[in-house]
Amino acid sequence: MEAFLTGFDSLMQPGVLLAIVIGSVGGLIIGAVPGIGPAIAIAILLPATVFLDDLVSLVLLLGVYGSSMYGGAIPAILINTPGTPVNALTTYDGYAMTRRGEASRALSLAYSASFFGGCFSIIMALVALFVFGPYLRDLGALFGQRDILMAAVLGGVLLIVAHRQTMGLAALLFGFGFLIAMIGRQSTRQIDRYTFDIEYLYSGFNLIVVIVGIFALSQALNLMVGKDDDPPEARITGGLLSGFREIAGRKIITLCSAIYGTIMGIIPGVGEFVAQFFSYSTARSLSKEPARFGHGSPEGLIASETSNNAVPAAAMIPLLALGVPGEALTAMMMVVFFDAGIKPGPDIFENNPDFLFSLFIALLIINGLVLATLLVSTKWIAKMVYIPNRFLGAFIMILSFVGVYSIRNSLTDCIFAVVFGFIGFVLRRLEWPLVPIVLGLVLGSIIVERLTAGAGQIKSAVDLINRPVSGTLFVMILMVIGFIIWTSLKNRRMNYQN
Amino acid sequence: MAVQQDPSKVQDLYFFDEASPFVTGMHFQSECPPDKKVKVEDLFKFSRSRGDLQASIVAAMIALFFLAFFWTQTGWDKRKLPDEFGIYLAHQFGLVDIEGRITRFGRILKQSWIAPLLCLVILVPAALWNLRASWKETAWRKRFLLPTSAYFELTKYVAALEFVAYFIGYTVIVPILGYLLSTLILGTFLTWRLGYRGPRWVLTGFVSAFAVVLAFRTFLQIKTPLDIWLYNQLPDAQRALMLTYF
Repeated sequence: MEAFLTGFDSLMQPGVLLAIVIGSVGGLIIGAVPGIGPAIAIAILLPATVFLDDLVSLVLLLGVYGSSMYGGAIPAILINTPGTPVNALTTYDGYAMTRRGEASRALSLAYSASFFGGCFSIIMALVALFVFGPYLRDLGALFGQRDILMAAVLGGVLLIVAHRQTMGLAALLFGFGFLIAMIGRQSTRQIDRYTFDIEYLYSGFNLIVVIVGIFALSQALNLMVGKDDDPPEARITGGLLSGFREIAGRKIITLCSAIYGTIMGIIPGVGEFVAQFFSYSTARSLSKEPARFGHGSPEGLIASETSNNAVPAAAMIPLLALGVPGEALTAMMMVVFFDAGIKPGPDIFENNPDFLFSLFIALLIINGLVLATLLVSTKWIAKMVYIPNRFLGAFIMILSFVGVYSIRNSLTDCIFAVVFGFIGFVLRRLEWPLVPIVLGLVLGSIIVERLTAGAGQIKSAVDLINRPVSGTLFVMILMVIGFIIWTSLKNRRMNYQN
Repeated sequence: MAVQQDPSKVQDLYFFDEASPFVTGMHFQSECPPDKKVKVEDLFKFSRSRGDLQASIVAAMIALFFLAFFWTQTGWDKRKLPDEFGIYLAHQFGLVDIEGRITRFGRILKQSWIAPLLCLVILVPAALWNLRASWKETAWRKRFLLPTSAYFELTKYVAALEFVAYFIGYTVIVPILGYLLSTLILGTFLTWRLGYRGPRWVLTGFVSAFAVVLAFRTFLQIKTPLDIWLYNQLPDAQRALMLTYF
């Protein structure tokens, strides 16, 4: 309880509260503008966090992360264009409801379902902290360097496997990110790795430079060479409060979707898409009107919005508990931890329990604030949809410059950011996934760091997996790989027979 | 044969001119509803587009480049490995017994070349696998007379290079004109260059650029160069003000 109160108290500083407001409202607007998305916004904001207090930085990024999916539902429902990729399923039923003249009902359902999903996973995390807090403090002893190493390897394997149709590409780009993380002078032995005697490369690539280039600059270029969309006009009439009453009448579907979102958020590399699919399929099987799914079913809308908003709080759990990010946005937040000198991991339960409470309480406040903002200002936020793409691209480019240049006033940083931006642009044009690069960067750094730190305890190769946690994780890795091989062989046999 | 449509319904449909790839001169029209349906399966469906083969070749060349330099750029030449490394490895997996003092496995894992090796173990096979898949796809597209030329993609890359040049130009003029003036120039110029040439749009570009400066420089106090030529021409008090807030 003391940690809870300390955590709550640290949020009550003007700077932190301002960051919550800016992050939430900013994330909401960013989510509502198709073409930006939270990853680009976080990439642009990352350099600014270097100059801010740790908690202020994290709360700002959490605000963007936690609120962007609320905003993304607006264009998905009104103009059939998902604001963020995870709102794609929302268009199925949301836009169909708009065409039936039920835009306000769809928006209201989306807001209330999102709010329920978001709060559900946060409350679950807080309850877990209260109930298991004393036991979680012993986790530090249970998790050593080799266990975290295995968790990072499992995260990488799950990420590659999650790109089911493009596993080769995902592995290639993960390896590319890993390689970028390797470049530089090894700190312990002062041996250069792939520096080619270029002085700039001795200290390695700055993570922020790479992330801003790959995510923000690449999208700026992509938008500027593309065409502007011509979204249809959307009208919102009527109140937005009826959704809560409606989701109360569909308790089982709402609850199942929130549980799916929470569980899938915890598993590294899985995330919102899989959570949505599980919850959407389950909702359809539970519904009395399954035929309406995809044609304006309120239950379909509830399932997709509840599950995707349950993910952000849940995705923070592997990041905080193991120090292993599960997807791109938490990987970017990891950079803030690196800069702040905080090492997320099992020790955090022992050393900074109040910090954990601060983050989850902040997420709870963000959800409330976002809902309140939406209820009074949806009409104005919906106008953001009409900002032309290429105009947005120009300003993402200007903002990217601020980010890169401000790190250390280096022109070379800017040149490398442009190089990575151009690489990201080519990858976007080819529709190659970008997320594995960022996770390769972050997980690669973790793998090498933990391998080096834990090397002292490794007498033989078996020592890598002879601890309870590392052994279990290793078995899980083998099971995942085995499952993929088995399903590939099965598919090949079926194709051959057909 | 084209199906006759009720004229009242035609305005609700988009018509696309299409042509059969197999029979020249045979054009027909197809229709789709006005709301372009977002298909969720499209988010997971991956199809290799034009330029994919060329990009896959470049990716494989990059992977092989790093593999070629593994022996000279990773500390491999300073490696410390036990004698008869093959037997040592077999011992690590419990296949053979070795008598006497055995090098700790951790001593090997700490060496600088281990991390690049792990990386290349993922990167090189994945790059070659991807190249093979892309090669097969291109062969399939050629067989069915689908477009494979990367020319269109190349024009987009060249178009993007123009904006890359503006970005680099911007980084060069910031230490000369200062962050405020450079950002205002770039924000306004890009708005104009992208085709938003009406006074309302140009003003929007100008105001947005100013808002970026206010948010990031004045409010968040993000670092920008301290030695700015234009600010150095100002009297001390104004110079200090401009350096602090703009």
